[in-house]
Amino acid sequence: MAANDWLGLKHELPPRRRFVLLVLSFAAPLILWCLVSYVPWLWHPLVRISDPGEVEYFTEDMDIPREDFARELENARQTGAALPVGERVNPVYLPAPHAVVRSFYTAFITPPRLPGEPWLHESLGHSIRTISWAFFLSSLIGVPLGILCGAFRFFSRIHEPFIEFFRYLPAPAFGALRVAILGIDDGPKVAIIFIGTFFQQVLVIANTVRKADPALIEAAQTLGASRWMLVRRVIIPATITDIYTDMRILLGWAWTYLIVAEVVGTMSGITYFISQQARYRNFDNVYAAIAMIGIIGFTSDIALAWLGRVIFPWKRTNKRPNRFVAWCARWVGKVGSGPAPEAAS
Amino acid sequence: MVRSVGWESRERPGSGGGIMTALPIVPDYRAQSPAVRDRFQRILERPVILSVRNLTKSYVAEDGTRTVFSGLSLDIRRREFITVIGPSGCGKSTFIRIIAGLDEATSGEVLLDGKAVAGPGPDRGMVFQGYTLFPWLTVRQNVMFGLEMRGKARVTAESEAREWLDMVGLGKFEQSYPHELSGGMKQRVAIARALANEPRILIMDEPFGALDSLTRCKMQGYLLQIWKQVDVTILFITHDLDEAVLLSDRILVMGTNPGRVVEFIENPVPRPRTSAQMIAPEFIAMKHRLDELIHPPAEIGEEEKLPMIRLTQAGEDIE
Repeated sequence: MAANDWLGLKHELPPRRRFVLLVLSFAAPLILWCLVSYVPWLWHPLVRISDPGEVEYFTEDMDIPREDFARELENARQTGAALPVGERVNPVYLPAPHAVVRSFYTAFITPPRLPGEPWLHESLGHSIRTISWAFFLSSLIGVPLGILCGAFRFFSRIHEPFIEFFRYLPAPAFGALRVAILGIDDGPKVAIIFIGTFFQQVLVIANTVRKADPALIEAAQTLGASRWMLVRRVIIPATITDIYTDMRILLGWAWTYLIVAEVVGTMSGITYFISQQARYRNFDNVYAAIAMIGIIGFTSDIALAWLGRVIFPWKRTNKRPNRFVAWCARWVGKVGSGPAPEAAS
Repeated sequence: MVRSVGWESRERPGSGGGIMTALPIVPDYRAQSPAVRDRFQRILERPVILSVRNLTKSYVAEDGTRTVFSGLSLDIRRREFITVIGPSGCGKSTFIRIIAGLDEATSGEVLLDGKAVAGPGPDRGMVFQGYTLFPWLTVRQNVMFGLEMRGKARVTAESEAREWLDMVGLGKFEQSYPHELSGGMKQRVAIARALANEPRILIMDEPFGALDSLTRCKMQGYLLQIWKQVDVTILFITHDLDEAVLLSDRILVMGTNPGRVVEFIENPVPRPRTSAQMIAPEFIAMKHRLDELIHPPAEIGEEEKLPMIRLTQAGEDIE
């Protein structure tokens, strides 16, 4: 295969090209957004009136469809009235990039309109707290149960059919029921994310654990490993990196359920912030808040991926980890139990 | 090297005689030099380690019961090197998996030191064809695995593991992870890991099958050295005739449909073995016999006639 082939099948690209594509994958939608926002003849279906002239129903800063504005302008010309003046704009729900970027800063320092309403950072904090609790509780039961189901047919047969059934019941459908049981505070919200995550988690992890290499299990058996030792010392380590990847994907799903959960009962968290801002027609704040969710999710995923390479040294493809990673690995080894996962020589 | 002078020569049965006449200098594979005969006598005085009694394996398929092999019986004595060879489908892998306890026999029994085996255990070490080192453990931790399973203290396990790694010549790599080793090195670690448990018998299922032929040759040398130093009996599966003749004391030849023992042959090649012996007359005789048993003469003619159309120009013959 030619070395300068951009579309080689299952063929890793050189680092430089990977970087170019990484930049492009973010830059391309941004450029599109900029074009639509800043090039006046692209789209811009509305006219914002700066001077209403003598048109009766026009007021300053009013957005009006282009055709209506053209018609009123024509009428004014014919009747000799003062002409309205305005410029083409996009609808209010599509703010320009610079407005959204500015909102990233101003949204944090703008006090809420109503007393008792949360600030943005309080809303975000509330959301993160809700999702953390739900994901923690789900994992606390879901991960061990998934491992048991994957390792032993007994647990698989007794639990999985019901879980398989239950996971088809949409988590939000229990909203009212949960409010009745758990009240209107954060209880039902945590419960929705829990239900949305837990059942998938058990099935996904059980499936991953079932894929543990049988040759490794047999090798361990011929070395004298007992049943529980097989689970603890072979099956779990053999699948832990895949379980870790599953958890990263499941955390992404949990964020989806967060938005559902926050509209149940009293609206709360980042969803409350978003809907309030939409009500005030501060769409730049809405976009900023949505982008914040994306940034939080994306960076936490990158951080987890990086952490994975530190705590699973045998998965490293390059033989020489950088010094910082090696230092962290030693530190983790000292703090955690077991031998230090020393840097690969 | 023992010369062929003074060898006891016996008439061999008729089959395959035509091929034998083309190689007049090859002696009978059953002819043993006095040294070799003495050695087999001494082996016979050793205690039986592994005894297989009437072992049968069959399974129920859609169209009735299939027999993998039936009525397998043999005795293996202490520190013998036994090779099992046979065409694919003869059940040799199933056979050793039953001995290892990874499969169950339909009937018959496997006795280790006179006691019936049930399930896998550390007294029967195993080296697999595929790489089965635990990728999440370093080389040393891999070797320590069995020792820790048997409840040895960490410090003891560590120092013992180091000794075993030194023995297979990989002491320098104790801190490496398996993915950093070559195929041959991985299999040496796997041998060290199995031997660290001090098994009564070491079962090896085509352990060098995935290696290139140069590495394989080196590994055979290593294995013979290790076997000399350690009190262990080896049961070795291969489909490589040279490997079988080079390594083993006795060769169990299995046939197919259903799996059965065709012949259990005492290998006449004297020890110590080196690859230089591969052109010795007794080596050739032994290999020739294995070839006859595994590829009966009738089959050879059939293989050669593929229904091929000629796709090259006249005058471009390659032979």
